[in-house]
Amino acid sequence: MASHIHPTDRPTKPGHLEKATLEGKNKVMGFWLFLGAETVLFACLFGTYLALRNSTMGGPTTQELYDLKLVGLATFFLLTSSLTSVLAMNAMNRLNVRAMQFWLGVTVLLGLAFLILEIYEFVHYVHEGHTFTSSAFGSSFYALVGTHGAHVTFGICWIIGLMIQTARRGLTYEMAPKLFLSSLYWHFIDVVWVFIFTLVYLLGKVG
Amino acid sequence: MSQNTNQNTTNTTSHKQEGAGKHILAFIVMIALTAVSFYLVMNNVVPKNMILPFLLILAAVQVFLQLFIFMHLNQKGSSYYTVFMIAGILIAVISGAGIMLM
Repeated sequence: MASHIHPTDRPTKPGHLEKATLEGKNKVMGFWLFLGAETVLFACLFGTYLALRNSTMGGPTTQELYDLKLVGLATFFLLTSSLTSVLAMNAMNRLNVRAMQFWLGVTVLLGLAFLILEIYEFVHYVHEGHTFTSSAFGSSFYALVGTHGAHVTFGICWIIGLMIQTARRGLTYEMAPKLFLSSLYWHFIDVVWVFIFTLVYLLGKVG
Repeated sequence: MSQNTNQNTTNTTSHKQEGAGKHILAFIVMIALTAVSFYLVMNNVVPKNMILPFLLILAAVQVFLQLFIFMHLNQKGSSYYTVFMIAGILIAVISGAGIMLM
């Protein structure tokens, strides 16, 4: 099946475009291996945070610091962006490029909204005396939440890049796996955030 | 070539069955689970020492929805991905718990 398709071909039939070529199948498999490794990276950061979260060195504690309303809003943005990302992939597999670009655009905007909230939160914490170097709690908190924020930033840049590339080249058999991987990455970021709001913010508020 | 056409047709039909409805339903469930976990903590519904298992179960359900519905981990021919992910989670739990309890 793979040999019939040229990478620059435009798909004519709807279906799972990301796995239509051997290259696409291999990309998806390689990406799952990468996500497995990312899981280990974040688990180590979570372990570090949970071990050190009470070592505040006289600075603000988790209960004093966290604002659940802000975190709830950020969670809503990120969860919704996960839905719009999956809607973009549905549109791609229906060969509806305009709808796909629209949903990818919404995903990027929601990601940006999340990022702005996170930056606001960090600035607020620094004013409260909770910095990367103020305590072991600070270091482990910013390492964990900051790594996640860096992933969101990278994801936003990646999706914008792919939107530009799709606008210039059209939806081809080469583009489809790239778009699908960026969507997988985005869902993974959301999975990590589910654990961050549970284990960092909610558990921190309980004490 | 005829096999090729067949495969394409099956792909199309399976895709039509999927649709956006399943995804939107999963999204609503995720939002509800998130709301429940925030509610439990904000209103101190569950005793302090009992809350962690509750929160972890709610988070785990959400993650399964993400993996299987949004990331299509249950699709045909995705056994390799599942193996990678299970291996990743296994090493992750050992490393994470090891660091935490060190």
